[in-house]
Amino acid sequence: MFEFGKKDSPDHAADPSTPEAARRDIAPAETASRTRAATGGGGRRDAAIIGPSIQLDGDLRGQEDLLIEGEVNGTVQLRDNSLTVGSQGKIKADVYAKEIHVDGLVEGDLFGSERVVIRKSAQVRGNITSPRVSLEEGARFKGSIEMDSAAVDAVVGKKRGPSVAEAPTKPATPAASVAARSGVAG
Amino acid sequence: MASALGFSTARRAPEVTVLNAPLFRGLMEQMQDDARRVVLDLGPARPETVAILGRFRCRLEIVALAEGLDALNASPEPGEVREIVSELLPPRRAEAIDVVLCWDLLNYLERPTLAILMAEILERLRPGSLVHALIAYSTPRMSALPERIVPGDDYRLLHSAVTADERTAPRYSPDDLARSMPGYAVERAMLLRNGMQEFLFRH
Repeated sequence: MFEFGKKDSPDHAADPSTPEAARRDIAPAETASRTRAATGGGGRRDAAIIGPSIQLDGDLRGQEDLLIEGEVNGTVQLRDNSLTVGSQGKIKADVYAKEIHVDGLVEGDLFGSERVVIRKSAQVRGNITSPRVSLEEGARFKGSIEMDSAAVDAVVGKKRGPSVAEAPTKPATPAASVAARSGVAG
Repeated sequence: MASALGFSTARRAPEVTVLNAPLFRGLMEQMQDDARRVVLDLGPARPETVAILGRFRCRLEIVALAEGLDALNASPEPGEVREIVSELLPPRRAEAIDVVLCWDLLNYLERPTLAILMAEILERLRPGSLVHALIAYSTPRMSALPERIVPGDDYRLLHSAVTADERTAPRYSPDDLARSMPGYAVERAMLLRNGMQEFLFRH
């Protein structure tokens, strides 16, 4: 399995073991209510939510899916779970998660060990590293997308099987889906 | 000219035209060799471009230059232009750029701005890298804004105007480009059916 946030992780990775005055480890359930946030594959499941009135500065880590509609500055680490940045969400953070879905604003690097989805309402400035990247028409993105499966593996540390193209999230909306060539269908 | 959507109307929904662009196709075919490349896309993030380039071992750097066109062309001072260009382009990285996709954006830059942009890009290129561009050369008029140009599955280009307004084309000649782009040599050039000249430059 992969470990995010280690010192040998790429550029901006934070060291979870390093005490930092500004860092807080927060269990999402303690900070927020629950909602049924959209998750990958069109399914919906319970997720914790950081509401629009909440601003959080520091290192956010958790073991469950999370929907951010508020503002987060720092680092987000949900290594086995999904993060959705809702349409009201604004994050200035590097994000490490299994799946990352963006409807809102993101400034930071996105590391999705399985998938990153940039929806049409999203504005993203940063670099994406993931075996599967979906970008919908209308999304504003500036930065880089790593599409080399070897480079993606080196960063997210997972071995994958043969590639299968991902279907667009909405047939009526032009969307690109990139599966790194060693990726598997989600 | 072939049309994906049938009859043409100047003022209705954007017509998507399919354009055979042999140099672009050749470039994409070269990228099938399994070598890793860094691609600099001066255009905005387009799902189709991401999907096509996702077939190859590459890192795609998206610049979205059109967002900075007004500021670039409004800045009379070269230093100011250089500063804006520097902010628009990705930072210089250890891994140099192998391929640059300009689409039709160079037509929307004043000559001095074009020269500064290409000089800044040059500093990020690997020797031998290739630059693809569409230049409105034989056509006196062009769309007032950069067109939406994306690659199709077969590497032909699908282009559509985002506005019905037109403006005079700068009609950069190969000599103009050679003067404005020192460090680049024309590898090949072809006149396309829509009056655009397709260029492939090599650093």
